Amino acid sequence: MSTPQIEIQLIAAVVAVACAIPGVFLVLRKMALISDAISHSILPGIVLGFFLTHDLNSPWLILLAAVTGVITVVLVEFIQKTGLVKEDTAIGLVFPALFSIGVLMISRNASDVHMDVDAVLLGELAFAPFDRLLVSGMDLGPKSLWVMGIILLITLGLLWAFFKELKVSTFDAGLSAALGFSPVVLHYGLMSVSSITVVGAFDAVGAILVVALMIAPAATAYLLTHDLKKMLWLSVIFGISAAIGGYWLAHLLDASIAGSITAVLGFIFLLVYWFAPNKGIIAVLYRKRQQRIEVSLLTFLLHLNNHQEESERHINHLNEHINWQKVRSEAVVKLALENNMITVEDQLVSLTDKGKEFTDLALEYILTNKDEHIEHLKKDFFLFRG
Amino acid sequence: MEKIAVSVDDLTVAYNYKPVLWDIDLAIPEGVLMAIVGPNGAGKSTLIKAILGIIDPIAGSIGIYGKPYEDQRQKVAYVPQKGSVDWDFPTTALDVVMMGTYGSLGWIKRPGKAQKKAALEALEKVGMLPFKNRQISQLSGGQQQRIFLARALVQNAAIYFMDEPFQGVDATTEKAIVNILKELRKTGKTVIVVHHDLQTVPEYFDWVTFLNVKKIATGPVSTIFNDDNLTKTYGINYKVSLQQ
Repeated sequence: MSTPQIEIQLIAAVVAVACAIPGVFLVLRKMALISDAISHSILPGIVLGFFLTHDLNSPWLILLAAVTGVITVVLVEFIQKTGLVKEDTAIGLVFPALFSIGVLMISRNASDVHMDVDAVLLGELAFAPFDRLLVSGMDLGPKSLWVMGIILLITLGLLWAFFKELKVSTFDAGLSAALGFSPVVLHYGLMSVSSITVVGAFDAVGAILVVALMIAPAATAYLLTHDLKKMLWLSVIFGISAAIGGYWLAHLLDASIAGSITAVLGFIFLLVYWFAPNKGIIAVLYRKRQQRIEVSLLTFLLHLNNHQEESERHINHLNEHINWQKVRSEAVVKLALENNMITVEDQLVSLTDKGKEFTDLALEYILTNKDEHIEHLKKDFFLFRG
Repeated sequence: MEKIAVSVDDLTVAYNYKPVLWDIDLAIPEGVLMAIVGPNGAGKSTLIKAILGIIDPIAGSIGIYGKPYEDQRQKVAYVPQKGSVDWDFPTTALDVVMMGTYGSLGWIKRPGKAQKKAALEALEKVGMLPFKNRQISQLSGGQQQRIFLARALVQNAAIYFMDEPFQGVDATTEKAIVNILKELRKTGKTVIVVHHDLQTVPEYFDWVTFLNVKKIATGPVSTIFNDDNLTKTYGINYKVSLQQ
């Protein structure tokens, strides 16, 4: 690998991690769309900053753009609070308005500003290594690596310091306020960090794809874990994997790097969406099927419990009397045998003590909806997991 | 003379200029187990939220043992409505209870062994210790409410505010919660509960506040829980429906 290749991958990975962290909290706060809004509405801030500094990587430009990002959030909340429109409508009103101001500013001054809308929307990671940070003639590496590296360090520092505050205010804003951790301060803190990250990242990946880097890793991780810390770690891992994988996909296809990274992110999400152990589509379908069989099992056991006479307990009777298809009755009998709930002798089915106990517990649960007696059954039977 | 745990003076709260609480005066004595009752939209939850500084009143003042709430946070624990949070949040029962200790820690400082021990004890008290590592979405409604209660217990406060702790819980959990509330009162704590079920007021509580935007009455259940106040709070037909 050449140096620029390594540098591009490094920048992509740093951008991905810096985006994934605030992204987790945005997803959990159901504010994913806000990142989309911010990524567009920072444009007038960037353009204004560029007019003033003539430097796309100036810290002033980043701060100005971040302020526009926070203004977006304030405006959205202001419109929403009037109660006249819902949040999604408010977002849809605010960010195109701000974005259009940016577009007008660029087109009015297109002659003397080296900046175009395409670059803003899509970014160009491949050019990032050419813009070097030179200090008294010494080459310190790509500028955007420094910019995003510093943003990432700030994000990590804030996350480390305020993890518990972010967690409690995201989960329960009311408690957070009562405990003295102002949800408003934390909310705007998170929004500021998100805005700064988006501004820093937009140069590399563009305004549209930065949304994918914020939301997709968090959404994917959310399907895999029940632990906020693990969710953060997984998001970071997915972000980095997509950054590196996307780079090589672009290399292979000779295509846009940012586009490839986003495609990989989408692919990872799709894989997890199908195959995640608990929340994945396949797991859900399997669970539904098992639940159906378990309900049949219970019906079957109840039937045995209510009828002692031999004619009712004959195995062929299942098909006729309970009116099941053969496949299902086989599955049910197999499940009952596996759990030692029935015995079959000469085609006659009898309930065992264990089967009887199970039936009683299940009945009680269904009638009372109290689960203290069936906790031990939850592991083996989906039916009791509510 | 009895001590006043919570005092509310001339409190008015409005949403979009429409008053939801109007000129409320309250003096809640220390050590009572008090129900706040009133019809939907009476401002019951709002009253608690205003006392706890979660929403800003447009007028009036609050005293927790005579001082502003901001100086007395450590003395107060709060159990919000169960429906106010997202139970799909990636966290465990133990972790939610630990959140109760955050107030005493302040900003930045992390919970340690002492906080974990306190959280485990609180889980034990509400009978939820076996579920400590369970993801919160996999708990039943009653279990979730117990977790919220444990989170308040861990705050080891002097005053407990609870917003409809009996909503959507089974009879066993309701009994368990009531027992814990009564135990809290026995140890001299003040417990203030937004309550819906009028039938159980005399059984569960010893103090009651009738609220319908304005304060209708407040005092001991034995003297003020009567048809007159119920009618004033709920409207003229209330007596009939209570008898059903």
